[in-house]
Amino acid sequence: MSQQITLTIDGQEITAQPGDKVLWAALANKIYIPHLCAIEENHTPFASCRLCFVEIKGYPSPVTACTETVQPGMAVTTRSPRVDRLVRTGFEMLMTNHRLECNICPANHSCALQRIARERGLSLKPKELPLLERNLPVDDSAPGIIYDPNKCVLCGRCVWVCKTRGAGILGFARRGFDRMVTTFRDAPLAESNCNYCDVCAGVCPVGALTIKCMS
Amino acid sequence: MKLTEEEKQIAVETSRKVSELFDPGKGNLIPILQRVQGELGYVPPEAMEVVAGYLDLPPVEVYGVVTFYNQFRTTPPGKHQVKVCMGTACHVKGGHIILDSWERRLGIKVGETTEDREYSLERVACVGCCTLAPVTLYDEEVIPKITPTKVDGLLFSHQLADKQQKEGNAGEK
Amino acid sequence: MKNDNHDVSSALEKIKICASASWQPLLEKPLIMVGAATCGRAAGALEVKRTIMAELERLNIDANVLEVGCMGHCYAEPLVVITRPDSDFPPICYGYVTEGIASRLVQDYLGEGDPCLEYALAAMEVNDFIPTMADFPRGLIEKKIIMDYCGLIDPQNIENYLATGGYKALCSVLRQTPESIVQTMKDSGLRGRGGAGFPTGVKWETCLKADAKEKFIICNADEGDPGAFMDRTILESNPHKMIEGMIIAAYAVGAARGYVYVRAEYPLAVERIRLAVKQVREYYLLGKSILDSGFDFDIEIFQGSGAFVCGEETALIASIEGEPGIPHHRPPFPAIAGLWGKPTIIDNVKTLCYVPHIISRGADWFKSTGTPESPGTAIFALAGKVVNTGLAEVPMGTTLNQMIYDVGSGIAGGKTFKAVQIGGPSGGCLPESVLETPIDFDSLKQVGAIMGSGGMVVLDQDDCMVEIARYFLDFTQKESCGKCTFCRLGTKHMLNILENITKGKGAPGDIEKLLTLAEDIKAGSLCNLGKTAPNPVLSTIKYFRDEYDAHINEKRCPSLMCKDLIAYYILPEKCERSCDACVGSCPVEAIFSNEDRIKVINQEKCVKCDSCLLACPPQYRAVVKLSPPEEVAAREKGKK
Repeated sequence: MSQQITLTIDGQEITAQPGDKVLWAALANKIYIPHLCAIEENHTPFASCRLCFVEIKGYPSPVTACTETVQPGMAVTTRSPRVDRLVRTGFEMLMTNHRLECNICPANHSCALQRIARERGLSLKPKELPLLERNLPVDDSAPGIIYDPNKCVLCGRCVWVCKTRGAGILGFARRGFDRMVTTFRDAPLAESNCNYCDVCAGVCPVGALTIKCMS
Repeated sequence: MKLTEEEKQIAVETSRKVSELFDPGKGNLIPILQRVQGELGYVPPEAMEVVAGYLDLPPVEVYGVVTFYNQFRTTPPGKHQVKVCMGTACHVKGGHIILDSWERRLGIKVGETTEDREYSLERVACVGCCTLAPVTLYDEEVIPKITPTKVDGLLFSHQLADKQQKEGNAGEK
Repeated sequence: MKNDNHDVSSALEKIKICASASWQPLLEKPLIMVGAATCGRAAGALEVKRTIMAELERLNIDANVLEVGCMGHCYAEPLVVITRPDSDFPPICYGYVTEGIASRLVQDYLGEGDPCLEYALAAMEVNDFIPTMADFPRGLIEKKIIMDYCGLIDPQNIENYLATGGYKALCSVLRQTPESIVQTMKDSGLRGRGGAGFPTGVKWETCLKADAKEKFIICNADEGDPGAFMDRTILESNPHKMIEGMIIAAYAVGAARGYVYVRAEYPLAVERIRLAVKQVREYYLLGKSILDSGFDFDIEIFQGSGAFVCGEETALIASIEGEPGIPHHRPPFPAIAGLWGKPTIIDNVKTLCYVPHIISRGADWFKSTGTPESPGTAIFALAGKVVNTGLAEVPMGTTLNQMIYDVGSGIAGGKTFKAVQIGGPSGGCLPESVLETPIDFDSLKQVGAIMGSGGMVVLDQDDCMVEIARYFLDFTQKESCGKCTFCRLGTKHMLNILENITKGKGAPGDIEKLLTLAEDIKAGSLCNLGKTAPNPVLSTIKYFRDEYDAHINEKRCPSLMCKDLIAYYILPEKCERSCDACVGSCPVEAIFSNEDRIKVINQEKCVKCDSCLLACPPQYRAVVKLSPPEEVAAREKGKK
């Protein structure tokens, strides 16, 4: 490969490939940065979850690590009062819009939201903001997959993977607060052209798309 | 609102014809949909499937586009379309009061079509006629400086005209 | 008209001769111009034109009738300008023309020579009889650069534009190097008129230097701000100016294809551009080897489907590519990687309209107007509670005071000024105390608004500032693409809080909550829609915090606007027994006469539609609004 780049993250010197994004360079070196929407193979990052904020020396304000390309000598800090505040607010906003039922959720213990809460000492239950419940129907029509849109954080990972590796039946529809992951004309999965390949459930970070237990 | 089999068939045929006027490139998706809506007055799922097929796109992508933009509607519009401007100038001159009046008079909520499909009611962000606020578009005609009483009068005169037209037609037969 | 001569300027000379040949005869007969842009039409311009035609025919008068665009005096629509070359009178502009006035103008002026000065608004040229536009305060302030011929030429006829010197700049450009044009644009200091005010020349330079075979230029005419109609008027009144600017831009950056991205909500503008593009092609000013220069460029029209967020460059591009209008992270900036991944320049309609002027008259001439940091003029759509609404082009640096009181002639109906909203959903509401602020990109930002694209809505004592903030948040929330967390959910939370406040369900601490959310949404959002969405809330809290307090603490709307916090009440002492105008006006039969024949409103039934208040004759003024609604009960109790 071409010449490696050396940079520091939280004072730790690390090396990365030219063109790498800060987020992946950090994660590869066991430095945790909260993230939900990022996909390493996708070279045009969505930058939609707004949780991977970091400080970079010389930048006036925090930036998203998933969109920043590593530069030689770059000095990245993953924590600062400004970063912590943005992550706290962004996370809290998401949690007002995520049905919280960890004890019965198949993603319990593997959920990215739980990890973020643990790593950053945040509460899963929103403290400042009221809940914004959507009360959408849960789709368990498919033989292998359950889709609970009330848990979806709209990261878009399932849509991307369904398009690139699956049957291309998942997509985003509508906009604003009503934006959601859905199928053509909002059909239940069993009535769509879903081939139940499960790749979506494999990439869902929060238990909105999960594999049905065969018990 | 359920579509009849005939309506579905027309939708399919129209969208096929319209699609073929364009090159099958994704950049033509929105122009095609606009043209379909221009012909049908709406873009039902049946039409989306045809367009998706023509452009070789997953239907859900077309669905995503149709549901994203304000311009597209997926259900048939009324014979008469009432669009209430909710721009800033109209708002401060009582646009919401005008919207209330239309809702009350037509007995439907914004975004709906009356049972008999005579009227549909929509809100538009701003038609750029701010100096004549508040305005309503009645079948593309800009009605300036509208008031609740004017809403009643307008509706009455249009209904009367329609009625006369129908009776006239019946008389001719 | 295709010429074999390879000299560009002689080609244009020929075109110009043809143009003036068709323009000249117009001035030999009486000329009647009817302002028929959307605003004129809504006010009845087409009926006026029909009357004029019919009267001319009836009286057998030979005259030319032209449908022109809008000169900005929208308050006085329909406008008619009459020129009688055989008289001593200058061209006269008439305002508020009805069908009756129109037929009198034909009969009396064209028929008998009486110019009916009682209907005249102003003369169009200096003369001994009638004051001109420049004799009014508005005329003194206005300085028309890009609106110079709006409302004075037929937008549907390219020859009219050519006769005014149109496409001359394009002709001179084709003999220059792209680098020198970009340099002129940089020297002029022109800043993008779409809102953000980025230097146009710098953007062009980036695109020019970008190494790519294919480049694009897009004219952003997706005027989405509610309360703004500058671009619409310009496109309806003089579309060729924008097209000329666009061709020059294309030549300067090396683009072979361009798009005009125009809102589908502007059908007349779409029609006008479509026709204009067709005509330009016919004159070899567009298409293959423009004026035989070897430079190819063509324009397509793309109709925006109604999404405010498409004003954002990357969202606009996504929508041309057949995607939902969802913004992407920048960089890369469109000037490097835009439409289909190719370098793309996106300029606002007004920005492009300045280009031919800057090319023809030079950067220094352009800089002589306006302020050093914001040279040129600003175009504002003045709407809301001012007397004279309309479109005005003024030098940058003009104060807000001058705009409202001189151009707009102050507040209508004897009410008092409260605030001016500038910049639409991304802007702010400014109070009386900062009205001396000069209009330019930087000064407006300092006081909490933005230049925006030019919407200026004036608010008076009857406008509740909390409700205005709620209105804008409701707008941005509906128009948010929903992609990123802060905008999708953050603005929703802010909107919920504001809705509660306007319904009297606010709680202490709500203002602080709004401020915190606003700060985080500004810092955390992906695109400028989200980053600026909190501005209307921030500016209203900054300048009108007492109104928020009244809603939260006293459940009272001081401006008597918030529906849930007011009640309509008929003052018994003022109600006239013999009058029942209000009873008939009520759409829900909520008003009845009591045993004393005094009218009373049944509060349960009342839908607060304002009809009775409007219907009550001004000599009685018996209908009032009370806040909080409990006031009604208190008054009735007091009466007994």
